Amino acid sequence: MDRTTQGSTALGRRTLLGGAAALTGAAMLPRRAGAQARTAPITIVINQSPWLDSFRRSIELYERETGARVELDVNPFAGSLEKQRNSVRASRGTTDLLIMNSTWFAEMYFGGFVEPIHAMDPGFRLDPEVYTLGDSIYFDADAKTLTPRGKLMSLPIAPIVPLTYYRGDLYRENGIEGAPLTFQQLEANAKRLHRPPRMVGIVQRGARGPASVSYDFYSYLYGFGGSVFRNQAANDYTVTLNAPEGRAALEYYLRLARECGHPRTAALEQAEVIQNYVTGRAAHMITVVAAWSQVEDRERSAVADRTEFAPPPSLPGLPTAPPLGHWLAGVSRNVPDERKRAAVQFLNWFQTPAAQIAYARGGGLPIHAAAYRDAMADERRYRWMKPLGVALEKSVNIFQFPEAAEVVAVLELGLNRAVAGEITAVAALNEMATQIHAVMAARGYRTALLEPLR
Amino acid sequence: MSLATGTGAALAVPAQRVRPADPDALWRWAALSPALLLMLGLGLLPVLNLVALGFFDVHWAEGQSELRFVGTAHYAALAKDPLFGSAILNTVVFAIGAVAGQMGLGFALALLCSKATRGRTFWRAVFILPVLLPGIVIGAMWKLMMNPDFGAIAQLLDLFGLPPVDWLGNARLALFSVVLVDIWHWTPFCFLLFLAGLEALPRDVYEAAKVDGASTWQELRYVTLPLMWPTIAVTFVFRLVLAFKVFDEVYLLTGGGPGTATEVVSFTIYLRFFTQDRAGYGAAMSVAVIFLIFLMLAAAAATRRRVQPA
Repeated sequence: MDRTTQGSTALGRRTLLGGAAALTGAAMLPRRAGAQARTAPITIVINQSPWLDSFRRSIELYERETGARVELDVNPFAGSLEKQRNSVRASRGTTDLLIMNSTWFAEMYFGGFVEPIHAMDPGFRLDPEVYTLGDSIYFDADAKTLTPRGKLMSLPIAPIVPLTYYRGDLYRENGIEGAPLTFQQLEANAKRLHRPPRMVGIVQRGARGPASVSYDFYSYLYGFGGSVFRNQAANDYTVTLNAPEGRAALEYYLRLARECGHPRTAALEQAEVIQNYVTGRAAHMITVVAAWSQVEDRERSAVADRTEFAPPPSLPGLPTAPPLGHWLAGVSRNVPDERKRAAVQFLNWFQTPAAQIAYARGGGLPIHAAAYRDAMADERRYRWMKPLGVALEKSVNIFQFPEAAEVVAVLELGLNRAVAGEITAVAALNEMATQIHAVMAARGYRTALLEPLR
Repeated sequence: MSLATGTGAALAVPAQRVRPADPDALWRWAALSPALLLMLGLGLLPVLNLVALGFFDVHWAEGQSELRFVGTAHYAALAKDPLFGSAILNTVVFAIGAVAGQMGLGFALALLCSKATRGRTFWRAVFILPVLLPGIVIGAMWKLMMNPDFGAIAQLLDLFGLPPVDWLGNARLALFSVVLVDIWHWTPFCFLLFLAGLEALPRDVYEAAKVDGASTWQELRYVTLPLMWPTIAVTFVFRLVLAFKVFDEVYLLTGGGPGTATEVVSFTIYLRFFTQDRAGYGAAMSVAVIFLIFLMLAAAAATRRRVQPA
């Protein structure tokens, strides 16, 4: 008892002294320290992408405005997925906010690794002008589909879709009018500007990678009215890749590569495609909108201010159909509650129009329609915004199931072999369709095959 | 054991005088056992785990893993895997090409260096430089050099009026190019082992050969090569196993393409295991490759036993 009393007395003195010091310190600190004490620090696992710097600037703005602390754990594309898998599969996660790519967010939803946002913050209100990107931010766990009837799982961070980049200066010099909005226009213009070896009409991404040539090809496939599966939303996984539309798309893709493309198309990755374009060796490229900052960087690009942007082409009468290669932010289920709440607090801030306009000014790709209506979208520097707004409206979420990586691997190999000239378009499509059907059948999906192309 | 020496003296030792057991043996085993258990645990458990995993499919739901027994289905599927067959073939071609090049070059360089009378330390340092570089640096460096648009090799060819060569994008050249990079990377390893072997050879045999009037070729053929045989065999096995495991160069230079031209087994396992998250199938593939490496080592050991007495 005495010991307790003595202890209490001693503690009381220390508390008193400590409290006085803390009060003095608190009076000297800026106001944000109070917020910092209330909000748990969070870790965001993210990939090294062209839009990373702009996201980092947004984080810095968030920290300044709220006093919260955010740590970015930056990894290469494949490394980011590995880190996320390791974290979410552990008994206690090491990363709070997962920045998930379109190729693996379904794996995280279906695996039960992402906490629905309203489970952490029932009062969270998704701004109705935030792009839902093929409804990929929702998940109905019972129906196993991505639909607004399900729960809100994530918020878009980077609405990545491809755009057509074309040399406006060369168009003017050669008397070519209008953007290449149809495949016919793109082919004609690319052929007209094709002057090898100094300049190729178009540079395409034909290499095999985690999601390389397949991502390049989706714009063509869907723009021709084709698809990989018949209707994923209705759980109909009939493989339609080798339909006549798919054949027309692949034959067109190969013809472009052969007749007005880069001689090494089969070996070109995204970085090399952009490199060829920014060094002025290509008149067109269809690549992710995030590359705009590289293209417009006067210190690194020979084509800064000479480039115009358009949504990817399509057949007359069909809409543009850019594939989503977007990034979503979801909160990991296996982290402490206070960190979950802190992560949701960040998402809530990030979706505001003010934060989105600041994000765009910092080089980011806004996820809020208000940013695309803002006066900045009329500035020459941000001339990609309007085509992007159009493209986002028509964007296609290519895969809506967790085994997408297996299907992508089949597409990568088959398409790369076709581009390299190892096999014909018809053989490639039939082969890929058979393999994709096998993957889906083995996983128990309702699937079927079309008659092989001849 | 001394009874088995075959000497008359040893045979004369009466059996009852042989100590039945070393009283310290138990203590020695007890002292060693923690380390042995640790070594066995670290070496065997992961392999056993891999073997077991190869009979299951792994799925995730509600944040928990679900294991479903599939028997030998994964092993049966290997035969139909379009990548696995190409990968095995390419890996064998790669390993034979790369190891042959490295051993030939490494031996030649070691011979030259062992005969150098001046600057031996300098040459040794120069020759071992590539093996000290990290794989990521080598991949980046050679990818840039082999780029036909602006790479150093293309510029060099241009000086002679030759067109650029698509080293990594041409299906007929890609594997050859990766082999070249691997030869550049790992020749120093062979060089070091061969040089150490050459410097340890007895000088008197060479002096005797000289007295007998042996030419340089005869000296190499009848003195150096037979004496170096154990070193050559060990280097060959080391390099063959390492070449079979090649990953970083393929990952960085070609990503297995174009098509399947440079697909190798380690890369296929990586794709199936990690990119596609097929842990069970990836495990089965890994076990199959481990088995192949064991076969290869057994064949190498048998060859060594057959050839060594000659």
